[in-house]
Order: sequence, then C-alpha cells, then structure tokens
Amino acid sequence: MANSHTGTAMVKEDSLILMKNIWKTYQMGVEELHALRDVSFHVEKGDYLAIIGPSGSGKSTLMNLIGCLDSPTKGTYLINGHLVSEMTDDELARIRNKEIGFVFQTFNLLSRATALHNVELPLIYAGIRAGERHERAKAALDAVELGDRTLHRPNELSGGQRQRVAIARALINNPSILLADEPTGALDSKTSVEIMALFEKLHADGNTIIVVTHEHEVAERAHRIITIRDGQIENDERIK
Amino acid sequence: MNFSETLKLAISSITAHKLRSFLTLLGMIIGMTAFMLILSLLLGFNGYVNEKVAGIGSNAFTVQRFNFDDFKDSDTIAAAQRRNKELSFDELDFIKRGAQMIEHIGARSGGVGRSIRVGNNSIQNVRISGVEPVIATIDKIEIEQGRFFSDTENNTAARVAFVGADIAKNLFPQGGALGSELKISGIPYRIIGIQVAKGTVFGQPQDNFIQLPIKTFGANFGGLRWNRAPNFAVTAKEGVKMEDAVDEVRTLLRIKRKLGPDEKDNFGIITPDAISGMIGSMTAVFSIVLLLVPGIALVVGAIVIMNIMLVAVTERTKEIGIRKSLGARQADILRQFLFESGLLSAIGGFIGLFIAYTAGYIITLYVFPTSIPWYAAVLAIGVSGGVGILAGLFPAWKAAALDPIEALRAD
Ligand SMILES: Nc1ncnc2c1ncn2[C@@H]1O[C@H](COP(=O)(O)OP(=O)(O)O)[C@@H](O)[C@H]1O
Ligand SMILES: [Mg+2]
Repeated sequence: MANSHTGTAMVKEDSLILMKNIWKTYQMGVEELHALRDVSFHVEKGDYLAIIGPSGSGKSTLMNLIGCLDSPTKGTYLINGHLVSEMTDDELARIRNKEIGFVFQTFNLLSRATALHNVELPLIYAGIRAGERHERAKAALDAVELGDRTLHRPNELSGGQRQRVAIARALINNPSILLADEPTGALDSKTSVEIMALFEKLHADGNTIIVVTHEHEVAERAHRIITIRDGQIENDERIK
Repeated sequence: MNFSETLKLAISSITAHKLRSFLTLLGMIIGMTAFMLILSLLLGFNGYVNEKVAGIGSNAFTVQRFNFDDFKDSDTIAAAQRRNKELSFDELDFIKRGAQMIEHIGARSGGVGRSIRVGNNSIQNVRISGVEPVIATIDKIEIEQGRFFSDTENNTAARVAFVGADIAKNLFPQGGALGSELKISGIPYRIIGIQVAKGTVFGQPQDNFIQLPIKTFGANFGGLRWNRAPNFAVTAKEGVKMEDAVDEVRTLLRIKRKLGPDEKDNFGIITPDAISGMIGSMTAVFSIVLLLVPGIALVVGAIVIMNIMLVAVTERTKEIGIRKSLGARQADILRQFLFESGLLSAIGGFIGLFIAYTAGYIITLYVFPTSIPWYAAVLAIGVSGGVGILAGLFPAWKAAALDPIEALRAD
C-alpha cells in the first residue's frame, strides 16, 4: 500500500496522522446526520493537541476514527503514511494494539480483572510472554504511582486511580500516539489536575498526545487547539 | 494470544458463573451419562453373550443339519428339510479319518425334556441328551464329583448318567447323588458324575441336564432321529485357524455327500463368530435406538450451550469492545469463545463419563458385567468438546464479527 496514495503526497505524507476530506454520516431513518463534514488536518510526531467543541459537535466521532475503532463514510485517513481504509481487520487490530493508546472517559477497564491484568491486555494480544508481560505491566503501574495497587480490581480503586490504570494500559505497548477522549470528564477537579500533570510529563517524555475535552483548563495545557463545531473544524491554532 | 492464555481466560469465565455453568451443563451431563451407561451396558451385554452363548474364545464349532440362512422363511425351511439329510455316524467316521486339522470330533444328540422324580423329590424340564465321551473334552466340562463316562460304557450302551448340579441337589437334597440311581421313563441309570454348578445365563438354568452315552440314549429314547438326530462338535488343532478347520470339515462332508461344485452345502457349520454375528445383527437396531435417546439429550445439551454462549456474548459485548480496542483480532475473540464453549462442554462430558463409569462399576459388582473401553471414554470427552465447539461456533462468530465501536457503546 506504500505507493497507493500518490495523490496525497503533497500534504506531508510522513505525518503521524493525516486526515483529508473526512466525512462521517449516520443514517437516521430517512435523514442523514453528518457527524463530521469534510474534516482535514494532520498531526506531527511529538505534538500535544487538544480538540474542543460543544457537546455533540463530533469530537468523539473524530477520536474514534483516529483510533481506528470506527471508519469514515468518505475521505482519506493515513496513519504513519499507511492508508487505513485499505487495511484488513488484522492490520487494524495491530494498529490499535501497537500504534495507538486509547484513554476513554469511562476508563473501559475489565471489571473482573486486576489492575495488573488490565494493563497486561495489550501485551497479551501482542503475543508477549507472561514473565516479560508482568514486569512491564508492573513498571507501567509504578510509573503512574499505582505500584502498590496491582492486584486491586477496578471497583476497589478510585476514579483517578482507574484512569491512571487506563493510562498505564494505553502506554504499555509504547504507542505512536496517545488518544484521550475527555479523560478527566468523570473525575473531580483535583484528580483532573493530577491526570493533566501526568499528560504533561508524558508529552515531555516525547509522547504524541491528542486529548478531547470541553474544559478550557485542560485544553490550555496543550500546544495546539482544534475547535470543532457541527462536525466541522472551526479553528486550528498553535498556542505554544 | 496463545493456548495457555486462552485456557486461563476460558476457565475464569466458566468459574465466574459456577451455578450457571453447572445448570448449562446438566443436559450435557445427563446425556453423556445416559449415553455412556447404555453403551457400557450394551458392550457388557455383547461380551457376556459372546462368551456365554456364542462361546467366543473356545476353538469349537458345530456341524449340524441346518444352516442359519435355512431359517429365513417357510420356503427355505421346506427346501432345507427336503435337501438336508440328518447327520450320520458314517459321516462322523469319514470326517474323523480324513481330517488333518481337527483335534477332536464328537457326536451329540438333540435333547428331550422330561420331569424326573426320586422318592418325594422331583425336578421339571430336565434336558436329556446323549453325547460321545469326547464331548467332555470338547466342552471342557468341569467335574465336581465322580467322572465322565468312558468309551466302553458308550459302546456297550451302559445305563450311566452324568448330571448337572441341580439334578444332584434337587433329587438328593441329603447328598449321596453320586452312585445313586434315577429312573427316566421307567429305566434306571446310575449317576457316575456331577458337573460343577454353572448358575444361569440370562435366567436359563445351566445345571438342569442329564447326559447319557449317546448309544444308550439312542437305544432307550427311540433312536437318533428327528429332533434327536446327532450333530458334531469339533475342535481345531492347536495352531490351526478355525476357518481352515471349518473348510476342511466342509470339504470332507461335501465329498462324502457327493455334492457337485455348483451345489450348495446341504448341512450347516456354525462357528462362535457366526452366532455372535447373528446375535449382533438382531441386537443392532435395538442398540441404535437405545443410543439414539441419549443422543437426542446430547443435542439438546448442545443447544443449551449455544444459548448460554449467545447470552454470554451479549453480556460481554462491552468486554469484547474493550479487547478489540486494545488490539484483539477477530481470531482471538473467536478462539476465546470457542474455547470456552468447548471446555464447558468437555467438562460436562467428563462429569457424565465419571458418573457413568461409577454407575457401571456398581452394576458390574452387583448385577451384570459392563465395560467402558478407553477409546469410548476418549471419544466421549472428544465428542462433548467437539459438540461444545460446534455449539459455540455461531455465538463466537457473532462476537468476533462485532464492530469495535458498537461493542464499546454497549453497557
Ligand atoms: N452511532 C451513532 N449513531 C447516530 N448518531 C451518532 C452516533 N454516534 C454519534 N452520533 C451523533 O453524531 C454527533 C457527534 O457525536 P459525538 O462525536 O459523540 O459528539 P461529542 O463527542 O463531540 O459530544 C452527535 O449528533 C451524535 O448524536
Ligand atoms: Mg464525546
């Protein structure tokens, strides 16, 4: 697929994320609902991007497309120069496993599994052996200061702790990009500040981060802000 | 995702809902128990029949007037009655002289039934027959007291009798049967031997007989004709295959009876294999029907498993979404659910097998020999696992095909 998209060569094919004329349309009975209309942008390695916009403007829809959890109705999406629409199911699974770390507003942890096992999951699907897996998962939990909570289940952890488990899980496979859809949406303001500090540290360590939020304090930590309204990019500015 | 990971996951899913897993498996357990129990009873029954009725394991066969297929219908019976002559001692001698492959050959008459009375004691339906002395060797008769009769006693038509254990016990409850006399149709015979008690086979008493020297029998019971006509018991020589001995005897008898090459045998040779085959063909339909019933229970069990797996997929849609968002491939999800249903079902099969084995063991101890051969046990586990995998196929496919974002939206 390397040369299958020469038409997009002009728009920086080596971008980490490259979206061109992306549409996402939901068929609601006879009516069409355009969650995204003609969205184009690109993200370079090492950037720290915030996507803001009112509720229902299409932020989550966009994030799910970036994270290869969903596919666009129209348009071109390249990740690391690879055309996502041409990928097989297994290739998409590999991208989700290796290239993307996704942090959800509602954490999405397996409730029956321990923190350690939750963090291990991406490594299991990457085919890493148990010994190495445990070590790496423990180290990842240490890094988010949960080294003493490895055997706790999600319902034995606070909201902030759950989100830190989710972040450790998102980062365990050293992804190219960390996606966070309203990561502080379910957290109190003090915990939110902790999580944002953690993101800042991760960015300082060289991680590429895209965070969706409707909180200005969260967005202002980023280096670039994209504003979405009614499924369209209204504004795209670099602030740092 | 490797084997041990998948196994761990399946075990943890099954044990997360222990009661539900158990209830799901009841159908499988009952089906498998019934299936294995019936199978073990049938196999035990066959083994019993082969040993006790057909005499599989002995190297003896019988030459007689009619063949099994002569009894197909009234026409074949009538034809055989015209064509097949009674066996004669001439023919016995001809075979004895000509055969190289046989060890022993002896005549035994058809039997007659009589009631016998000694003093105040009587016994009904005693089967009386005449045999040559060599029959004791061919039948491997075990003697409790006394001896079998001799050639001299046979040749002189001596009035001596070898009797079953019930005869001695019922007619001489105080003992002293050996050497005593008993009268059959007014003629007295001296008891010279008593057989070891054999018990019953399918409720038929085996100890309710009197054997006389065949010459004595012929002289006192109206000649060796009709239902009293002789047949020959034959054993193959050590190291000779029974079929070869059978072929030799058949050839000799055909020569003696001057049968042309195109003519059918006008006599029958019955081997233990033939008897067992005939019984087998009679019981085959019956066996299939008996196994079909628990077979249906297994199918119902499989449907229950499929149903619970569909429920599991629905319940765990969110989990599937999470796993997919973290990089699980369709094959990983498929394998996870197939493994779970296969393991679940195999556990049911194993429990069923265990119960059937225990029940069979108890039945063997107290009632009737049963057996579950190892291959049937392996098959049972394999079949139940396979049935589980089949039952899980559709639910697992549904799970694997879930759209990640749709699955994540479930709660
Ligand atoms: N699965 C769906 N089916 C139909 N409409 C949807 C679906 N998902 C999202 N939408 C619609 O798309 C629009 C954008 O939704 P979303 O991306 O979740 O907004 P945000 O995250 O910015 O609040 C909304 O109008 C929403 O109702
Ligand atoms: Mg949203």
